[in-house]
Amino acid sequence: MRRGVYIALAAVILAFAGMLIYRALSSSLVYFILPSEYAKSPQQYDDRRLRLGGIVEAGSVDFDTEDLRLTFHVTDSVVTYPVRHFGAPPELFQENTGVVVEGHFEDGVFVSDNLLVKHSEVYQAPEPGEPVNVEALKESLQ
Amino acid sequence: MSLTGGGLSLAVLGGSCVFLALALAVYALVTGVIGAARRDARLQTSARLAAVAVFLAMTAAIFVMEVALLTDDFSVSYVAQHSRIASPTWVKFVTMWAALEGSILLWGWLLSAYTAALAVTAPNTILRPWALAVMQGVQVFFIGVTALAASPFRLLVDPPLDGPGPNPLLQNHWMMAVHPVLMYLGFVGLTVPFAYAMAALITRQPGVTWMTQTRRWTLTGWGFLSAAIVAGGWWSYEVLGWGGFWAWDPVENVSFLPWLTATAFIHSVQVQERRRMLKGWNLLLVTLTFALTILGTFLTRSGVISSVHAFGNGPVGPLFLGFFLLVVLFSFSLVALRWDQVRDRAELDDPVSREGAILLGNILFLAIAFAVLLGTIFPLIVEALTGDKVTVGAPFFDQVSVPVWLIIFLLMGIGPLLPWRKAEEQSLRRNLAWLAGGALAAGLIAFILGMRLVYPLLTVVVAGWNLVSLALLLHGALAPRLRLSDRSALSVFRQYAFESRRRFGSMIVHLAIIVIALGVMGASAYRIDRQMRFQFGEPVAFRGYTLVATDSFRSQTQGRLSTGAVVEVYRNGDKLATLRPRINVFGANQQSAPTPGVYYTPWHDLYLSIAGDVSEGRQSVVLRVVQSPLVAWIWIGGLVLVFGTIWSLLPGRQRVRRRTTNDGTVRA
Repeated sequence: MRRGVYIALAAVILAFAGMLIYRALSSSLVYFILPSEYAKSPQQYDDRRLRLGGIVEAGSVDFDTEDLRLTFHVTDSVVTYPVRHFGAPPELFQENTGVVVEGHFEDGVFVSDNLLVKHSEVYQAPEPGEPVNVEALKESLQ
Repeated sequence: MSLTGGGLSLAVLGGSCVFLALALAVYALVTGVIGAARRDARLQTSARLAAVAVFLAMTAAIFVMEVALLTDDFSVSYVAQHSRIASPTWVKFVTMWAALEGSILLWGWLLSAYTAALAVTAPNTILRPWALAVMQGVQVFFIGVTALAASPFRLLVDPPLDGPGPNPLLQNHWMMAVHPVLMYLGFVGLTVPFAYAMAALITRQPGVTWMTQTRRWTLTGWGFLSAAIVAGGWWSYEVLGWGGFWAWDPVENVSFLPWLTATAFIHSVQVQERRRMLKGWNLLLVTLTFALTILGTFLTRSGVISSVHAFGNGPVGPLFLGFFLLVVLFSFSLVALRWDQVRDRAELDDPVSREGAILLGNILFLAIAFAVLLGTIFPLIVEALTGDKVTVGAPFFDQVSVPVWLIIFLLMGIGPLLPWRKAEEQSLRRNLAWLAGGALAAGLIAFILGMRLVYPLLTVVVAGWNLVSLALLLHGALAPRLRLSDRSALSVFRQYAFESRRRFGSMIVHLAIIVIALGVMGASAYRIDRQMRFQFGEPVAFRGYTLVATDSFRSQTQGRLSTGAVVEVYRNGDKLATLRPRINVFGANQQSAPTPGVYYTPWHDLYLSIAGDVSEGRQSVVLRVVQSPLVAWIWIGGLVLVFGTIWSLLPGRQRVRRRTTNDGTVRA
């Protein structure tokens, strides 16, 4: 009799915990995507925190030393998005290198609060006219 | 003495030592199993001697590897891949565990040391031969991986002139000499209770014998693991440059998982010792703990989850996964086979009792472990099912674990005050009134001091609750003794602390946990993290401090080039410190690691690290400025925790209890 009560109680607690865990998990998943994946279905990632990977587009970098604002474009050679990051560029940050920024989109601009430089020895930027291997790029940035 | 010139290379010598150790371990396993099954004392003795021989062979292998590292012998593959001539001697020495193959060699050596120590010191019971056989089985796996799959001793016919050196993050701080070794000592230590649990199942003796015989081993393993986790947090704080100590990174999580289950086990053991309950539960917990150490090694070493520590995508991933499945399959089938002996005869009389609190605490520890495990492997599941690459953000782990921790802390306060079997209502009410009073007082003080966030306030509340609980426990232990003796309170307290080591040690550890909880609360909820630009010579105000970056500097030491800034810290016009945050570049590979400048105080730390470029000829520098309240108490709490664990482990003074038995004789 008492055993049954304990088991029922445990089941209720477990169900409740499971629900809490599920809700917390689904709300804190951070997707890792490339610009072209975002462009396919922007509404899917509305209000979500994202990790956006790609290459720093040459000639797009601007660092405002007064209020420490770093802006640049991140691209996967298919789609390009502007990025706004607060803070100094990390040491190895330069044009044509791989980066991953973490944050969210605001009106087509990616607002980042975490910037990681990814040196991929694997990925080679395509020659002009060559098809882009987006999968290989994504793999190399992970 | 040069061994390389004489035709015998260190690679061949070291490799031979490992193969010899493997052969001896296989011999010890086979003779051990036959000897145990046939109850043949001679075979058992032979297996025990072989365990010592394995340890000697592994020690020789370790010695050869260290010689190769210290003499820059690049014909040994591991040295060529992970060491560098210009590294300082201590870095060369710790390069042994800076990468996968060396780490597993070290793990195997520590395991052989534990096994040999067990073979020599374990009491001669029916459990011993089987426990040693299980240890040997685990050892055959680890040494086998080193010998056959991930050998650090491969001979390079055409050795390079110099190597790349270890990962810069690993040679940037002396903690790397300590933290991994502590971690492995913890993991390997927790193999011992697992081996005894299996032995208990094999011999159909799932009573309390296996626990009492491994109590010290379990506590030792748990203490090393606790120390390793705190040390890892401190390393992260001092090296990674973001001013935090815990990021819920997979590699941190997988060390935390066995800690949670081992903590649950340490508590539930007492229920079985006192009430003969939870037999099966304890066997499963200790198995789970061991299995999680293997699973964790698989997750971090196979490269399935990329993180700071996941260096190496070698052949060991599938091996560790296979071994993990083997361990789980073997132990669970054993438990199923022996279910009749494992079933509990006793029932829980009343949930409001010591065992009820421990049981509930156990469930909560496992709940946290489940959530952390889920969050850690969830990205793998998602990628396997949908192809999407996701990470589980730190908020998930915080949301799920913090409320559960608060309930655990409540139990930690009330549990030790509850009697076994059934609480008596009057004393329960009185104790609860005291605890609630302490909790309210603490919460009120925090509120008056301006704390308004819910979880931090609750943390202070449970801290007050627990401090009162410890005071009540001490009072309950000392008051009767004081009444009976005419000595001073201090000497009665000393006598109690030395005689009841287990009880007093547990109080120290619980106090340490509360101190750590307060430190974590302050440093995570009230952390201030800014990036600021400093013109050289111009003061900048930050949270009551005045910071002046006076100059940049460059310094070159052996194998390391550092560039940084000199920052003077003032408060109310007094100069408090000069900090030198810097970025270090090691060797030719141009990888860098930061060293922050930290001004430590008991109330908060002021933490500066270089953000951005510090090349010469600049007029300014950008620094990341972090203020972490109470963060120092995490490390202090860690030290107290280790002290409490050691206190519990030391042999107690024998108390002479004179009791008159029914027939009038006096028993000592």
